Amino acid sequence: MIIIIIYLIISFLLDSFMSNIFPSMLNSSSFLATIYSLISLVIIYPYFENEKKYFGLAIIMGLLFDILYTSTLLFNLLLFLGAAIVIKILNKIFPINILTVNGISLIVIISYHLLAFIILGMASGISYHFILLLRIISSSILMTIIYTSISYLLFNLIFKKFNLKQIK
Amino acid sequence: MLGKRKKKISKKLIAVLIVLVVVIILVIFSFTLKGNRKLSHVESFLRDALVYVERVVMSPFNFVSDKFKEYNELKDVREENDILKTSIERADSLESENMELRRQLEKLKEELNIDYTLTDYEYLNATVVSRNIGYWYNTITIDKGTYNGVDKDMIVINAKGLIGKVIRTTTFTSDVRLITTSDTNNKISVNISNGDYNIYGVINGYDYKSNLLEVEGISNTLSVSIGDFVYTSGLGGIFPSGILIGQVTEIGTDSYDLGKIIKVKPAADFSDINFVSILKRKRVAE
Repeated sequence: MIIIIIYLIISFLLDSFMSNIFPSMLNSSSFLATIYSLISLVIIYPYFENEKKYFGLAIIMGLLFDILYTSTLLFNLLLFLGAAIVIKILNKIFPINILTVNGISLIVIISYHLLAFIILGMASGISYHFILLLRIISSSILMTIIYTSISYLLFNLIFKKFNLKQIK
Repeated sequence: MLGKRKKKISKKLIAVLIVLVVVIILVIFSFTLKGNRKLSHVESFLRDALVYVERVVMSPFNFVSDKFKEYNELKDVREENDILKTSIERADSLESENMELRRQLEKLKEELNIDYTLTDYEYLNATVVSRNIGYWYNTITIDKGTYNGVDKDMIVINAKGLIGKVIRTTTFTSDVRLITTSDTNNKISVNISNGDYNIYGVINGYDYKSNLLEVEGISNTLSVSIGDFVYTSGLGGIFPSGILIGQVTEIGTDSYDLGKIIKVKPAADFSDINFVSILKRKRVAE
């Protein structure tokens, strides 16, 4: 559990640090930008026996993302919770290996941006162009795959070293 | 029979409930997603704490990148030194010219009854600590807050031109909404200077396809040329006049052929903002 918490904290902080190294503004997206906190939810899911704890962590991550990064309320909390549910369903459908984990990460990131695009367009009065959505999604793909693969391999290595097993 | 009806009703009820929940969530979001929402004390405290953690963690990375920058700068130091020497020789004459211009400006302001120009603002320098996390908000966070005298709606610029305005502050940080947004509430009054006279218009949004700002409200009878500079006009009260926004790159007409739609390339490079200045109104001695 400690390893998972440390990984979640690192992923959460990476969202802020990497925004400085690979800035991705609406008018110019970096091809090395993604939402690390969401990917961390994909990676940790197979190591949770108690799903309530998993969903609790997803809610906390969403709440902190709201407060610390986007200055919104409930928005990311609900999106992160939705992402956790999607992760749970996809993990039941697919076997866990590096390819499927990458696929799940991509689905989660794309769903997040799609929902953000729809909800922000409807609720905040800011009209975003569909091209912008495509640009943001395409610019997220590379880093999502890189971070998911590194995290997956690292988690496997650590859990093998400490003789821990995946629960799912 | 009754059981089937119950099932039908319950399905309808579920559908209605889902729609109701979605509507309620959207209504809540319309309040919570507002850019001008004031942060609670807990939110402010947590944000300030994060910036400190970030500074500590980033310090070794910043140290290494600074050393690289210093090394690159050292290579050009001799050439720069020669340029600076000639600039220093001209500094005295420029200073006296500046004093004379300042005196004339004060006199003109008195005669024209103008409250504020750029000379009435002091510049507070700040460093960008994070940029547009979560992609959709088009904001940057800077390391100056209410403790440093930053307030909502203050204007943020960099060496190249207008960046945006402060939309939220905590004790030690502020969020700046960039002008490259399609938020129609974020209108900026501008004037286009073509040498002989000024033309007034309004920035009405941002075209994400071409990455250009859109200026509207200009009559078709007025002449604008590609390459004209676009500045803030000072009308509207939030943005002081005379801040460079960009240059005209495209000129078109609206669907009724009555007004011009002008596309402006922003002067500032929004993907490379590291340091900014916040414009603070000077305190007038009573």
